[in-house]
Amino acid sequence: MIRVENLHKRFGNVNAVDGVSFTAADGSVTGLLGPNGAGKTTTLRMLYTLMRPDDGRILVDEVDAVADPEGARRQLGVLPDQSGLYPRLTAREHIHYFGELQGITGRDLADRTNDLVKMLDMTDIVDRRVAGYSHGERTKTALARAIVHNPRNVLLDEPTNGLDVMSTRAVRDIIRRLKAEGHMVLFSSHVMQEVSALCDTIIVIARGRIVASGSPDDLRAQTGHQNLEDAFVTLTGLGEVTSS
Amino acid sequence: MTNRTLAQALVVFRKELRDWSRDRRSILTAVIGTLFGPLFVAFMFNTLASRQRQVEDVKVPVVGIEHAPALVDWLRQQPGIEIVAGPSDPEDAVRTRQEDVVVVIPKEFAERFKASKPAIVRIVADSSSQSTRPKQQRVRGLFQRYNAEIGSLRLMARGVSPVVATPLGIEEVEVSSAQQRAAQILSFIPLFIMMAAFMGAMQIATDSTAGERERGSLEALLVNPAPRSAIATGKWLAGTATSMASVVISGGLLLVIFQSIPLQDLGFRFRLGTPHLVGTLAAVLPLCPFIVAVQMYVATFAKSFKEAQSYLSLLMMVQMLPGFLATMYPITSQNWMYFVPWVGQQVMMTDVLGGKPPTAIVFAAGAVMSMALAAIAVRGTTALLHRERIIFGR
Repeated sequence: MIRVENLHKRFGNVNAVDGVSFTAADGSVTGLLGPNGAGKTTTLRMLYTLMRPDDGRILVDEVDAVADPEGARRQLGVLPDQSGLYPRLTAREHIHYFGELQGITGRDLADRTNDLVKMLDMTDIVDRRVAGYSHGERTKTALARAIVHNPRNVLLDEPTNGLDVMSTRAVRDIIRRLKAEGHMVLFSSHVMQEVSALCDTIIVIARGRIVASGSPDDLRAQTGHQNLEDAFVTLTGLGEVTSS
Repeated sequence: MTNRTLAQALVVFRKELRDWSRDRRSILTAVIGTLFGPLFVAFMFNTLASRQRQVEDVKVPVVGIEHAPALVDWLRQQPGIEIVAGPSDPEDAVRTRQEDVVVVIPKEFAERFKASKPAIVRIVADSSSQSTRPKQQRVRGLFQRYNAEIGSLRLMARGVSPVVATPLGIEEVEVSSAQQRAAQILSFIPLFIMMAAFMGAMQIATDSTAGERERGSLEALLVNPAPRSAIATGKWLAGTATSMASVVISGGLLLVIFQSIPLQDLGFRFRLGTPHLVGTLAAVLPLCPFIVAVQMYVATFAKSFKEAQSYLSLLMMVQMLPGFLATMYPITSQNWMYFVPWVGQQVMMTDVLGGKPPTAIVFAAGAVMSMALAAIAVRGTTALLHRERIIFGR
């Protein structure tokens, strides 16, 4: 579980994140929805402790992420904004590298790797160097290494961005599976359908602030739109000029 | 550093080495950096040796042997000189490089010689040809000696002491003697060893820092629950390993080359052997961690591999400077120099190769100094890895 209270981050004169608070529960999928530049990535970066908030509190399974970032990272599996791979290593080596950094070794690591490979349908490519991978195969590799240690909390920054249909499905399957296993999944997206298809809770963020949150049904009721996309446009203020 | 941190550093260490070993570019750089010195030295000594041999046994083609039988007999008595009949067109033969030098004795030689007039001896040579110059000088020297001998005899025959005709006693100090040139080649060795250390470190130092930023893999790496110090240390150790390997191989090859060159035949008094290699390694290996740490620190500022390489080539120039100066102006080593990393190792190597190795305390002091500075630079890199601008700046 992740609890965020009154998170702030400024870059120069810009309030990138301006008082964000929410709770993402175990066994559920939470979507961070917003247009580009709304503060989704910055929020996630603070959650996975690579960025320090100017103000606010982050609790990851009761670990204070600002005071004990390493402790918080131990409870996290993260697919960050930039998930570059090492072109000369194979997917298996990527998974092993991160697994070993998490302290998993030997038989455990080998078994866990095989499970992930099966789950993500990567058997054919897992021992090839990633230099020749497609975008989808890269994302799968990055995802596999991110959750190699079976973390309680999973943060995914735009996991399906730019993926083809089959890879998108594989990622969605993983998210559902993680939820079913009782994990907390928090992911960001700017695609409405993506979020509505997967999320129990949607947090709509614009200009660094939360403008609405709740289940997809809540959001429809709140805005009076039956179509979630219209709801999104109304909530984020993107349509102010055209819809009035 | 706790056990867990150390274990994580070793994980990073292994990954970086594996990644490095699969990079053709990195292997190439390492091989060039390692082999350049030994190959250069081998080439230089080979050239030197062949030139030396050329001067020792000189075959001098003479046109008009019959015009000066006494002179030619004298020449034949000189050690290492063989007189052969010259070509019909001496100038053409030299111009087309068929002959290095040809002596022409005109037919009026005997007549002028008898009359005690300067008898002309023509030395046909191409002074633009570097490689034949020693041979030309040798031939010229022969005639000068003959000149002096005959001159002295003539003076004595007239009751004059030859000393009178020698107002100046000229002593030439030949700076380009083989011995000197060999010393020059030797003075390059520290430079080559340093280059091997530098180039051996470079790939991992850049790929694991700037390369990691360029690929966008740094963010994912730092999300792992490993302290930045473990990650920086692992990368640093990997770079240190390749740098040290490069030095050991380069030094070993140099030793092999020196042992296969017949230095005694070339008239060199020194021998380079295992003690010199051990001394050189003892001086330079402790410097490798420092070189890597500094390279890593600098490269972490770079957003891309290319940017890092241009920073590092500047760094290389700066680091090469003392070495170049040392080859041009032989330095009188002063005590403080031993404590300056890079300079100190250069001085130590020069001492070792000169057969006057410094004491163990000096070795230890240099090692401690560069290890301490390496630790500071690794801490600096660790601190950089905390900066948001470094982690996210692309």
